[in-house]
Amino acid sequence: MLTEFVKRFTDHQIEYVEVHEQYFLKDTSLEHYLLPQQVTLIGLYLGKQQGKQFIPSFNLLEVLSEYSKEKIFVNDLGEIDFLYGKHLRKRHLADIRGALEPGRFKLVQNRYDENIGYGIYIGEHTDSVKILHHVLDRGIFIKRDKQLKK
Amino acid sequence: MDTFFKQRYKEYGGDCKPVNLRKAIRVNTLKISSQHLQRRLEKRGVILQKIPFVKDGFYVVKTKHSLVSIPEYLLGLFYIQDAASQVPAEILHPKDDVVLDACAAPGGKTSQLATEAKAVIATDIDKERFKKLSYNLERLGIKNCIAYNIDVCTVQKSFPFILLDAPCSGNYMLEKGWFQKNSIQRINERAVIQKQLLSHLIAILEKNGVLVYSTCSLEPEEDECNIQYALDNLPVRLEPMDMIGDPGLKSASGIDFDKTMRYCKRFWPSKTQTIGFFVARLRKC
Repeated sequence: MLTEFVKRFTDHQIEYVEVHEQYFLKDTSLEHYLLPQQVTLIGLYLGKQQGKQFIPSFNLLEVLSEYSKEKIFVNDLGEIDFLYGKHLRKRHLADIRGALEPGRFKLVQNRYDENIGYGIYIGEHTDSVKILHHVLDRGIFIKRDKQLKK
Repeated sequence: MDTFFKQRYKEYGGDCKPVNLRKAIRVNTLKISSQHLQRRLEKRGVILQKIPFVKDGFYVVKTKHSLVSIPEYLLGLFYIQDAASQVPAEILHPKDDVVLDACAAPGGKTSQLATEAKAVIATDIDKERFKKLSYNLERLGIKNCIAYNIDVCTVQKSFPFILLDAPCSGNYMLEKGWFQKNSIQRINERAVIQKQLLSHLIAILEKNGVLVYSTCSLEPEEDECNIQYALDNLPVRLEPMDMIGDPGLKSASGIDFDKTMRYCKRFWPSKTQTIGFFVARLRKC
């Protein structure tokens, strides 16, 4: 599932290890330090399988952004709006790279080329129409914090 | 109880005056330099000032927004962490080596250790708190941590560096109504668990290895008394550290402590503008 997700962005192969339906970047140097107990996390977390769905981590999106051309760069307004879960419109965009085919997955990058999430490219239209359908953004950390405080 | 605690704080050279805590952050140097972050946050109306006694820590002098909602936080470029709680990882200093973080959640100190250690082995027994640890490790992009949702007392492997930020009763700066909620009995119950943890971890500490013990408690039963127990019963000695804070107490609860107890550091909120904190650096003989 992780491999299929990665293929939507790049042909680059990402080696991983699986622990309880969670994926981590393969790092042989860490294996040396494993304890005999059942490990829960090992190194960089890449995502998890939830039913039939793969939920990528932001670390995976960051790794992908090093290899993939499928990126949308947003301006400061776009960054804030996307982190609030909004779809992207023309006024949010600084640059679009990669294939301009509707339905393509695109990584969303801020002005520093840092990944803030991803979405599905719809196409360039007027300002009133969304260009990228929002799927996942780093604002989720706020929601997680709130859930854990309850 | 209220008067009991306040009275003895005075005897120990502290007090419990209300203090405005100085909000602090630690730069995640795995992702960004301090200078870079400072510049970026300034543009968002967040003014930082260097904390003089920790490497990557800054006080937040002014901010227009809630820190957790700004993009740099969500990108994992910094961690919100009280200045005093940045001290244990700083003085453990496990440069390019392996470190065990025994009660790791929510992961502030774990991620701090990850910036200089070769690998961090993190354990925490609490399932809910472990979730916080995993979220923080993801947000901060930590690559060199292996984490176990287990009781650290089941670990038998030995380590050259260990951090024991022990579960404790907390302090009045962290919790409203702390004085009403706590009793000497509750504190003594905590102290028993802390001694068990300390004994086990010193047993698995490599010879000549370093263990840093810390709590956010100001109660001697959870601090100096535990260290005295370690000095009396376990093969360790205290080491001095170049750090702010008052020296450890000379005596408390009718016990005269070892002379080297002065090497420990106490953070009285009214003196350091941090949460209440205690830290000791032990070396295995």
